[in-house]
This record gives sequence, structure tokens and C-alpha cells, in this order.
Amino acid sequence: MTVGFYQHRESSVHRLNPLTKLTLAVAVVIAAFAVPLTWWPAALFLVVLVPAVLAARVPARFAALTVKFVGPLLVAVFLVQGLFFPGEGAELARLGPISVKAEGLAFAAQTATRLLVLIGAFLFLLLTTHPGVLMNAMVQRGLPPNISYVVSATLQIVPAFRERAQHILRAQQARGMATGGGLRRRIGVLLPLIGPLALGALTEVEERAVAMEARAFGATGRRTSLMPVPDTTAQRLARWGLAAFAAATIVANALGVFA
Amino acid sequence: MIELDDFSYAYPTGSRPALRSLRLAVPAGQLCGVVGPSGAGKSTFAHALAGFIPHALGGETAGRVVVGGRTVADTPLPDLVRDVGLVLQNPFNQISGVKFTVREELAFGLENLGVPQEEMVRRVDAVLAELRIEGLADRSPYQLSGGQQQLVALGSVLVMRPSVLVLDEPTSQLDPVGSGQVFDAVRALHRAGVTIVLVEHKLERLAEIADRVLVLRHGEVALDGPPATVLADPRLADWGVAGTRYTAAARLARERGLWPEDRDLPVTLDAAVAGFRAVTGGVESR
Repeated sequence: MTVGFYQHRESSVHRLNPLTKLTLAVAVVIAAFAVPLTWWPAALFLVVLVPAVLAARVPARFAALTVKFVGPLLVAVFLVQGLFFPGEGAELARLGPISVKAEGLAFAAQTATRLLVLIGAFLFLLLTTHPGVLMNAMVQRGLPPNISYVVSATLQIVPAFRERAQHILRAQQARGMATGGGLRRRIGVLLPLIGPLALGALTEVEERAVAMEARAFGATGRRTSLMPVPDTTAQRLARWGLAAFAAATIVANALGVFA
Repeated sequence: MIELDDFSYAYPTGSRPALRSLRLAVPAGQLCGVVGPSGAGKSTFAHALAGFIPHALGGETAGRVVVGGRTVADTPLPDLVRDVGLVLQNPFNQISGVKFTVREELAFGLENLGVPQEEMVRRVDAVLAELRIEGLADRSPYQLSGGQQQLVALGSVLVMRPSVLVLDEPTSQLDPVGSGQVFDAVRALHRAGVTIVLVEHKLERLAEIADRVLVLRHGEVALDGPPATVLADPRLADWGVAGTRYTAAARLARERGLWPEDRDLPVTLDAAVAGFRAVTGGVESR
């Protein structure tokens, strides 16, 4: 079963502790937004994320998802910032009220590449890290089990509910309800679908809660893990290094190093 | 092992008690079946034994339930689940949703209890073998059939090694194959000495494995005794409990004068075969 975005591969990146990959993702995102140099986010993307994705052997999926998520944003950013940039600057072209300025294009390029780093960094994490392992690692680091429950259960139960919604839909089709057609009709179809789905889920909440308590979910003592997530000193050092790097970019920007 | 001492219970929203002055004891190692029409209090009874009444569901209780020497109302749930395992009807709702493989799903309760890892691995492997589901160990719990999911739900309670197992209609949502798997597992656990309370509608199956059957009606014990006596009782039909098909067949035979009045009605296939063989003079089919 595919869970979230995870792509199983035998790679050294996949074997890294999820916290290391999480720290890497957060650190490059902070760095990309902290440093106001136009070329900087693109450099981070090419020098850090692309090699990481290649090492993890997931380049095709990464590229496809990046285009899918960043593409529409890219178009929007260039349209808005590139064509309607409010600030001063050299005008490159003009068409009625629309003026293309160099500053506008530079700003659009920086915003777009920052978004590219943001989305790319988390895609890298999600493509190479099984959500179960990520949650295990975080619970072992003190994340409350309730939060882990919400994340993991959402990933697994939502697809199961989608299947149930299909059943309800088919049951209603079997009783002669038309489900195709225009937008108005489709919205009309949603209402009789949501009712049984939501009510079904609510009536099951109690049984679900009882089943969880029957397995001591409410226990307050120290928890253990069937599969402790391996960690190494090198990775711990790397995480501190990444955190220091991210902090340094913020401090440098605050001190006006890039001004 | 289980004692109910004048135990009564009313749900917070209920206008009348769901259980009334129950007095009974289930000795260690017994497999006690519970039957009754819907609304008779069977599920309530199961939840009371496992401590969810009063701990999780609230409501008003009187009298007490003692399991394994501990008074249920005075024992916190996380402690109680080590002694009493509860398996519910719907396999889908019992999958935690937090774990991505059956192996991890089985270990979930042990992780919550802080059982050391090596011990956890040992217990999970033992339960996988016991329920003969080793082949499912690395699959997602959501990819299994209902019967397999119910075995996983049973296994995830068994890893905690409860001395009492309470099953609330564990096969009501399963197909015949899935039901068979669950009954086989229950039979094996009974042989291994686990005290079992099994709420069940499939009376033919229950008759084969139970040592004793309780009939609940309006929250009270209407009948209590060996399955051969209780399940053949003619009053069951009046109370909305369909007896076994074997009893029904023999009763019909009796109405037609084929089954002697002094011969007990059968509740299992074996008893029915033996009975019909005796009354027909052992005629073999061609």
C-alpha cells in the first residue's frame, strides 16, 4: 500500500534517521527565506536538494511532483510580481497599464525559487521517509502520542473513508440518483453523501476509542518502541550543524551582511 | 476468575438499567457464551467485565465486578487491560490507524505499556504463530480481509497476555471463512486455559465450544447452564433468540412424530447426526 508520498528505495538517504532529514528540510527552508540574495534559493536547490534527491534515487517522482505543485505557483508569482511590480525600476516593456520591470522579474524569480526550495525540501523528506518511521522517531523524541495518532491515522483512515464514500455513492446510484452532470448537480450529490459518511464516522468514534483504550493508549508511563529508529553520533552532529547554519543565516541577515 | 456481585448498571442517557442485579461467577478456564436478543445488555455486560463500564462510559453502577481478584471500578483502565482483553465487533474500527504493518499493530498495546523491546518482539512473534498469521506480519492492517483484521484485533489484545478474554460478537461482521478463523483461534485459546466470555449470535458455533451459556434478557440472566440444555430451551424463540438449526430440525421431526418426546433436542451437528441416526434406525443413504 502506498502511504502518503513515500517511495520505497534501498538508499543511504532512506536509511537516515527521519529527524536528520526533517532538520535538513527545515534548515534549507529557513536559509532560503533568510538570505535576500536573488541567486541564493536556486543555489540551495541545486547544491543541496538535487544531489540529495539523486542520492535517494527518487528523481523522477520528485521532478513530477515539484512541477505539479510549484508550476501553478510559478505562473501566479510571475504574473503578479513580474507584471504588476509596484516599486521603482527600469521598465523593460510596457503594454497599457502593464509594465515589466527588471526589479519585478528579479523579485518574482526570488519568490519562485524560495517556494521551489520550500516545496522541494518537504517533498524530499516525504518521498524518502515512511510516515510511520517519522512518527516513531518523533514520539521517541517526546512528541505526544496523541499528535502522532492524528497524523498517522489521517494518512491511513482517510483513504479507507474514501473507499466508504464510494460505497455510499454506488448505493445511491443503485437507487437511481444521477451523480454525473454539471457543477450544480454534483454539489447536490455531495449532501446525501456527506450525511451518511459523517454520521457513520461519528457513531464509530466511541468504538474506536474503546478499542484504543483496550490497548492501553491512555497509559501515562514511559512508552517503548517495537522498532527504535537508529541514530548515529555523526547524524546528531549533522543536525546540530544544520541548525547552526540556519541560525547563522538569520543572524547574518539581521546584522545586514547581505545589504 | 470473574465475579459479579449484585451488579447493576444504567447508561448516563438511559431511562432504565441496562443490567440488573447480576450475580454470577465464571471460574478460571471456562468458556462462557452469552446470548440474547438485541438490547438485552450483552455488549453492556462485555464492557462491564472489561472495565469500560464505569471507567470510559460513565453511568450509574451498583454492586461490583471483580476480575482476577481486582475490583474493576477501583482499577485504572491501563492496569486492567493487562488482565482483561476486550475484542469488539467491527474489525475496521479496532485497527489503531497509527501503525503501518501488522507486526507493529500487534505491538501497539505493549509499546503503550512500556514493555521492553526484546520482550515485545518475543510476544508478537508468539502471537503471530499462535494465530497462524505470520504471513501477514509485514502487510498493512488496512489491506487485510475482515477476518484477518479481526484476528489482528484479537492478537493485539493477546500480546498483553490477559488472563480473561471478553469478545463482543467478534464474528458478526465476518464471512463464514473469517468466522471460522476466529472460532478456531478462540477454541485454541480455551484449550490453552484462558478464561473466555464470548457474546455470540452464531449459536451452532457457540454450542460446539462453550462450557456454559448465559441468556440475557432485559439486563437479567434468564437462563444459565450447559449449552445442550440452554440452547435447546423452547422459550428462546419467544424471547427473540433463534435456536440452532439442529434444534429446529429435531423439533420439526418431533412434531411429525419422528423424534421421541423423551429424547433431548440436539444443539450441535454431531448430536443431531447421532440423534437422527438413532431415531431412523441407522439408515444409510445410498
